[in-house]
Formats: sequence, structure tokens, C-alpha cells
Amino acid sequence: MNAALEGKVYPDTTFTVDEERVDLFRAAVGEAGEIVPPTFATAAEFAVFPLIVGDAELGLDFTRVVHAEQEYEWRRPFRMGEALTVRSRIAAIRQKAGNGFLAIHTELVDGDGELVVLARATMIERAS
Amino acid sequence: MPQLTVRFEDLAVGDDVFSVSRVVTRDDVKRYADASGDQNPLHQDEDFARAVGFPGIIAHGMFTMGHLARSLTDWLGDPSRLKRLTVQFRAPVFMGETIVAEGRVKALDPATRTAVLDVWVRVERDGTTEYPIRRGEAEVGFADP
Repeated sequence: MNAALEGKVYPDTTFTVDEERVDLFRAAVGEAGEIVPPTFATAAEFAVFPLIVGDAELGLDFTRVVHAEQEYEWRRPFRMGEALTVRSRIAAIRQKAGNGFLAIHTELVDGDGELVVLARATMIERAS
Repeated sequence: MPQLTVRFEDLAVGDDVFSVSRVVTRDDVKRYADASGDQNPLHQDEDFARAVGFPGIIAHGMFTMGHLARSLTDWLGDPSRLKRLTVQFRAPVFMGETIVAEGRVKALDPATRTAVLDVWVRVERDGTTEYPIRRGEAEVGFADP
């Protein structure tokens, strides 16, 4: 993994809180209510993660990647149908005992420019 | 609108507040992959999972976190009260296993009406307890907006 990419900001992506997709998500996690599950934020992160994991400059071997930590801070619930801007950056890259640690921070911002969710994901590229 | 079903005044540090179990099925994990967009073959392709050192496909860490968050918001009644959730993924979850999400009150701040919970997800495997999610922490806001 190329440590020089720490700080890299990925291009903004638009993510829509789509009702059909929320329904599928609810069915998967067993949510019986009408709410948009707070962890639906994961779907927004995955609008960008494949770009990062597949970033040739970063040089990540995805066959050795596992998800190590995840944090969400919610400022307000999702609104069905709303469009959010997804803004991801590489917050940190570390090497420890042969394992690589990659921290990706993602902000989900609404049409008024207000922060809706802050997401912090840590991936480990296991020693080969 | 969802209604809060827990009263801050009824909570005490050390209280076990929820315990929710579910069986993890291949269909739900596939559904989760499609809904979340996480199409890593580790969660769908047996041959791939074995090639990278697992006995079979495993659930997404975020599938397990989704169950934990759902357990929390079901307990609260009002999902907007969940302000922060942080977890560490420390063990795989295999198909057919039963995962149990649990939470305990860690700290209470009456001034801000905020509760902090220790949360985790466990699974019983070969006579021992494994923790797919360990050292999780959730922050819940009880002050009316």
C-alpha cells in the first residue's frame, strides 16, 4: 500500500436514499419498521469504496483486505428520496507488524450543505 | 413518527438493556451485498473465501453491525436518538450461525441526558464464545430536540 496517498481526497459522488434500495437493506438487517436504518450510511460509503480499493496508485491487494473498525456519527436521520453528496478521503495509512492499516473518512452532506453523517472506516491489508 | 420507548430516568449504569439474536442466512447476506453495494466475493463465493483462508463465506462486518444497530434502534423506539456507534470487527460470522447483539449502560450524563452503552455481538462456536463485534460503543441522546 502506497503511504504517500494519505490525505488523498476522492471526487464527490451523489448518493440517493432510494426507497427500493432501503427496502432491500431493511429486509437484509431485519428492520421491520418504516425508518431508514442509520447504518444505511454504508451504502453511501460503497458509492466510493470500490474506487479507493481499486485505486492503482494506492496498490491495495483486495484479496487480503478485511474490515477492522467502523464508526458513524449521525447528525440527523436520513430522509427518504433525498440526494446526498458523498465526500471520502484517505485519513491515514499505517504499517504495523506487516499489516497495512487504511482509514477512510466519509462525509455525507445534504443539499443545504449540512453534514448528515460522518463515517470512519478502518481496513486492514493482512500480511501476505 | 417513531416514538422513544425508553426513559433516561429508568436507566442505571450496569443495566443490560437489550439482547437480540438472529440466524445469519446466505439469502440475507446476498441481500445485504446488493443493498449495501459491498460485492466483495468473500461474502458470496465459496471458492474465493477458501482461497483466502476461510472455511467458507463469511457475513460482511457491516451486516453484523447492521444487526447491532437495528437491535439498538428497536430498543430505543426512535432511531434518531442514536448519535454515534463505533465497533471493532474481531471474528468472522459463518452462514447458519446465530449472532446475538447485546448492550449495557456504561455511563449516564444527566446534564446532557446522554447515555453511553457498551455494545457487542457474540456467537457461540465449538463451545466457546467468539465476539464478531467487540468493544463497541454507542451514544444515545435523550434530550428532546
